[in-house]
Amino acid sequence: MESDLNADLAAQEAAAREYQPHLEGPLVGDRTPSHVITEEYAKADPVYVQKTLALPQTYSHYRPVQGDGNCGWRAIGFGYFEALIRTGDASLVGAERDRITQYPILDHSEMVYEDMRDEVSILMNDIAAALPNQGAAMDVLVQKFNDLDVANHLLYYLRLLASSWLKGDPNANEYLGFIPEEIGIIGYCQNYLELPGREIEHLGIMLLYNVLLKPCGMVIEIAYLDRTPGPAVNTYRFPAEANGCDPSTLGPIMYLLFRPDHYDILYPHPPPTAPVDIQVNRASSFSHEHQITPNMPSLQNFTEVDLSALSLIPGLGLNPGVPSMSVSTASSIESYSPSPQSPWMPTPFTDSLPIRQQQPQLKQEQSVPSLRAVSVLPQPVQRQTPPLRFSEYCHPQLAETYASREPCFTTNTFKNSHFNTAHYNNPNFQPEEYRPELDDSFYEVARPTGKRRSH
Amino acid sequence: MASQKRIQKELAECTKSPPQGMTIALASESNLHKWHVTLQGPPNSPYAGGTFGLVVSLPVEYPFKAPTVTFSTRIYHPNVTNDSQGSICLGALKAENWKPASKLLGVLEAVRGLLVEPMPDDPLEARIADEYKNDRKEFEKNAKAYVARYAKGAPKYEEPTAAGEAKS
Repeated sequence: MESDLNADLAAQEAAAREYQPHLEGPLVGDRTPSHVITEEYAKADPVYVQKTLALPQTYSHYRPVQGDGNCGWRAIGFGYFEALIRTGDASLVGAERDRITQYPILDHSEMVYEDMRDEVSILMNDIAAALPNQGAAMDVLVQKFNDLDVANHLLYYLRLLASSWLKGDPNANEYLGFIPEEIGIIGYCQNYLELPGREIEHLGIMLLYNVLLKPCGMVIEIAYLDRTPGPAVNTYRFPAEANGCDPSTLGPIMYLLFRPDHYDILYPHPPPTAPVDIQVNRASSFSHEHQITPNMPSLQNFTEVDLSALSLIPGLGLNPGVPSMSVSTASSIESYSPSPQSPWMPTPFTDSLPIRQQQPQLKQEQSVPSLRAVSVLPQPVQRQTPPLRFSEYCHPQLAETYASREPCFTTNTFKNSHFNTAHYNNPNFQPEEYRPELDDSFYEVARPTGKRRSH
Repeated sequence: MASQKRIQKELAECTKSPPQGMTIALASESNLHKWHVTLQGPPNSPYAGGTFGLVVSLPVEYPFKAPTVTFSTRIYHPNVTNDSQGSICLGALKAENWKPASKLLGVLEAVRGLLVEPMPDDPLEARIADEYKNDRKEFEKNAKAYVARYAKGAPKYEEPTAAGEAKS
């Protein structure tokens, strides 16, 4: 009986030891719109829902990477070659090939790594040959990274580069805090860096950054999608000095998405010039087109006006600092009545929208309601109040999740305010339906007393 | 198959200076991934006088996945299954211990070492391990009986899948 039990245990242990996770999909997938991640987490807990809802605002696409224990190495390796391709500079690729393949690999005979080094060399030659056609070079890269045998060689060479850097770095003592005391540097190399399928750790990223990316000025930005509270993912850059810098002042940046134990590749929205182009198209379809088109400079101005109004659209937080409520008045329609506006709104509103001065040149009929809105809005009291009272409406990310946990602003006090989804200024505007079964007298009573009060 | 250079060099290394008592050859000239090894029982062990066949299989993903080594000759040993499979329990070959930097020369030396000094605390055959620990004389008697019965003459490398391939 007991031996049966032991045999069962042994069988279970063996099964656990030999367990191979069922891995789906390619090693490195295609560029995928990032809202797929949002949908993936739609039923997760609220922190994830909120963070993944905000994710597409910063990152338009992601590239899934297979989670076989090498994904961090795979993601950074892919990102490195992709960044090289984006430079479009074949001579840079050649120089990098020489640098990497001539880097001294420590503690291993050439026999161990020459096949791997050859694969790196072949890949970089193929990329250089395909440039300046970046699309063709990317095809080469994706194909190589999806060939398991080639990818194994490439990634293991990265592991050897990282471990050689650690062994050869005179300042290696700085890393000791990351290394379990009992195994030391050599043990860390053997049991962490050089073990295929062993996931990369913070130290591994530091080493790989130092040996692979730093010499060519590349930067890694990692977005951490985890349970820490906050409206959006936290990001951290390697090197640490790059944190807080304007991306335009940094070298090529590769963006990674970290979920516990897994890395994918992210792609941010293109630099802000691109959305302006889109707005030109959109403005041309306006009914006032005939007034705008004769004057090209005015058209430019008009696109700027419209750009700010974009933040009205949930999920397109181009200007998250400006509350969406106030922006909406800039493009309000003529029949707009300013009464429901909160008294603290106008100050930041006028300050933060320099386009106001340009409006009169644009279109007479559009500027009228806006100016009227300013002049009618109560002025004297709010001077003492802070210019911006922070509420969740200041954060478009939150405003988006607002619908799912929405309190009902249909009491007499709030019924006519923009907090009620029946108000057209509400980001989740939903017209009220006439339902005869409801008591009509309710509306008759509510209307006169629904006069706006401070809230 | 990007590891051809590596495998060729390992094969050259093993054939040039093989571990004591071993000769190494490819099962078939066209396939670098299957080796046939003959192993003379170490003189200071109960296996002395026997000639054992070993089959080394390199997976397609070698060196990123561990090779497998099996006895094609029956052997009475705590760490080798007592059947026609001849599976070996060797720490270095376990998936979690294998590193691409590990070499086949070292693996073969470890197999030979296992015959000199079995590891009864990590057995595949618990009964033989018990006997080895508690009744060494009986163990040696049985091991020698197996040698006399199975390990005399040129080893055969019979495999269920590639029976016609065996030529050494």
